[in-house]
Amino acid sequence: MSDIKPRDIEALLETFEASDWSEMKLKIDGLEMFVSKSPDGRPASGPGDCATPAAPLVASSASTPALSPAAVGVTRAGAPPDHWITVRAPNLGTFYRSPKPGAPPYVKIGQHVDSDDEVCLIEVMKLFTTVLAGASGVVRQVLVEDAELVEFDQALFLLEPAA
Amino acid sequence: MPLSRVLVANRGEIALRIVRAAKSLGVETVLAASVADRESLAAREADRVVTLGPAPARASYLDANLVVHAAKATGCDALHPGYGFLSERAALARLCEDHGIAFVGPASASIEAVGDKLAARRLAKSAGVPMTPGSAKLASAQEAVAFASEVGFPVVTKASAGGGGRGMVVARDAKSLAAGFERASTEAKEAFGDGTLYLERYVERARHVEVQVLGLGDGRVLHFGERDCSMQRRYQKMIEEAPAAAMPNATRARLHKAAVELLSSIRYRNAGTVEFLYDVERDDFYFMEVNARIQVEHPVSEMTSGVDLVKLQLEVAGGVLPPVTQRDIVPHGHAIEARILAEDPRRGFLPCPGRVTRWRPPHGEGVRIDTAIEEGTLVPPYYDSMIAKLIVHAPDRPHAVRRLRDALDAFEIEGVATNIELLRAVAAHPDFFENRLDTRWLETVFLPHYGQQEG
Repeated sequence: MSDIKPRDIEALLETFEASDWSEMKLKIDGLEMFVSKSPDGRPASGPGDCATPAAPLVASSASTPALSPAAVGVTRAGAPPDHWITVRAPNLGTFYRSPKPGAPPYVKIGQHVDSDDEVCLIEVMKLFTTVLAGASGVVRQVLVEDAELVEFDQALFLLEPAA
Repeated sequence: MPLSRVLVANRGEIALRIVRAAKSLGVETVLAASVADRESLAAREADRVVTLGPAPARASYLDANLVVHAAKATGCDALHPGYGFLSERAALARLCEDHGIAFVGPASASIEAVGDKLAARRLAKSAGVPMTPGSAKLASAQEAVAFASEVGFPVVTKASAGGGGRGMVVARDAKSLAAGFERASTEAKEAFGDGTLYLERYVERARHVEVQVLGLGDGRVLHFGERDCSMQRRYQKMIEEAPAAAMPNATRARLHKAAVELLSSIRYRNAGTVEFLYDVERDDFYFMEVNARIQVEHPVSEMTSGVDLVKLQLEVAGGVLPPVTQRDIVPHGHAIEARILAEDPRRGFLPCPGRVTRWRPPHGEGVRIDTAIEEGTLVPPYYDSMIAKLIVHAPDRPHAVRRLRDALDAFEIEGVATNIELLRAVAAHPDFFENRLDTRWLETVFLPHYGQQEG
């Protein structure tokens, strides 16, 4: 549960960027993260928030240039909202985000997808099958690393359904 | 090179058995399970579990591509197919060969050589193994009748592509053969996708005997004695024993030799079983088929020969020659296995999946249980109904039968219907104690009476 990879943080930042939220605050194990779109954003020093020593601050401009000037302190998502939709693996295989090596991914965080849009490939012994979104919504999270083994029924993406 | 990580492509007791054998050899295990088996005992004991697919076997345990992909993706250098499912598919062995994964079983070419029954008969013939007079492929009922008139009735039709009783019709005269031929062919076509039949002379009083072997892949083949599996219902074994106590020693020695020679001729590798029909009256045996896998009933041979066949399988697959020679394998005592099925004999042997609410297996000296069931385990409805194997071992057959009776009496299972009552009645039967059995005893002598008794 607690091995947070740089990728996870990246995904969170992408999610945050694509959202209409103004702030995001997360705390997991030893990691604490605070992101704000306000230029003078600071971790709100509310009660209970200050017990953990501040995690190293990551300047958003350095790691994620796309992010508007913001103070980034921060982390990784807790439970996603209940109404978000999980796109699952229809079978075991190797997960690929792009149609071929070097090509852009089928979908990016923040992108809107329709039910019959392709979202990834799953390969079994050199046989590639495309996976469809199965629902329409905005891609909020990519839960699997490219070229990783996914199992049957494993969660691949989280979609926020269109309002 | 010894194996380092094995994918176990099976479920139930055999998956657990393989996981434990691998662990004891220091080999890591990845269990490839369906959704229905993700919480199984084997899943808990394996180092890793990957979910192959949904519960139905077709989309999980029977998909060779999924299984080999899972093995590669999880860094396995070997794959153990267990029994049933894909275990005797040459295609799976070949996929493993093509991808540098050691298949814990025979070479794909060997599976092909013994997998088709007509090919196996040709092989047996060239190795000088005795066979019942049998025909080649038959194109029509007329051809069948002509052949039968030549060798004499009764005869039995057999499917070229498979066993398990499908495509088998016993005919005692030309008229019933002509009538049964089409039916048998249709049945074979439905079961195996190939309706090709051949004919054999039918032995009225036969025992099913089989020899457990382990090929080293270099032409040497060890054997671990024979088993008698005559207690069958609809060609499904219910009780198996080692040795075949009714067989004279001289016949037994010839039987072992025939099995070893048959498989030596193709430099057979890993565990296998050569099945024979033993004609009790003539004291003669005939080749039936080769099972190119570890079998359900392997424990009785382990109990008498004192080896762990699954460990030996893993060692041979890893290229390690087992530290045993034929001289070291000295069978002792008598072992009997009873298959505990979640089936209700009072309702036509209807499978009864469900949750096991009480599970009190017997234990004690000479009692072994191979199972993946615990109290609270759900027996899923998708697979074979066998939930445990009860194996007893004693210095001789009479003691083994008594031990079996005691163990069956002590076995308590609630929540699912089982065949334990029936097994108790069989174990208590004088014919069983006196070993007056043949392959049709259960169905023709015992069951009709059992049915009446139960009302």
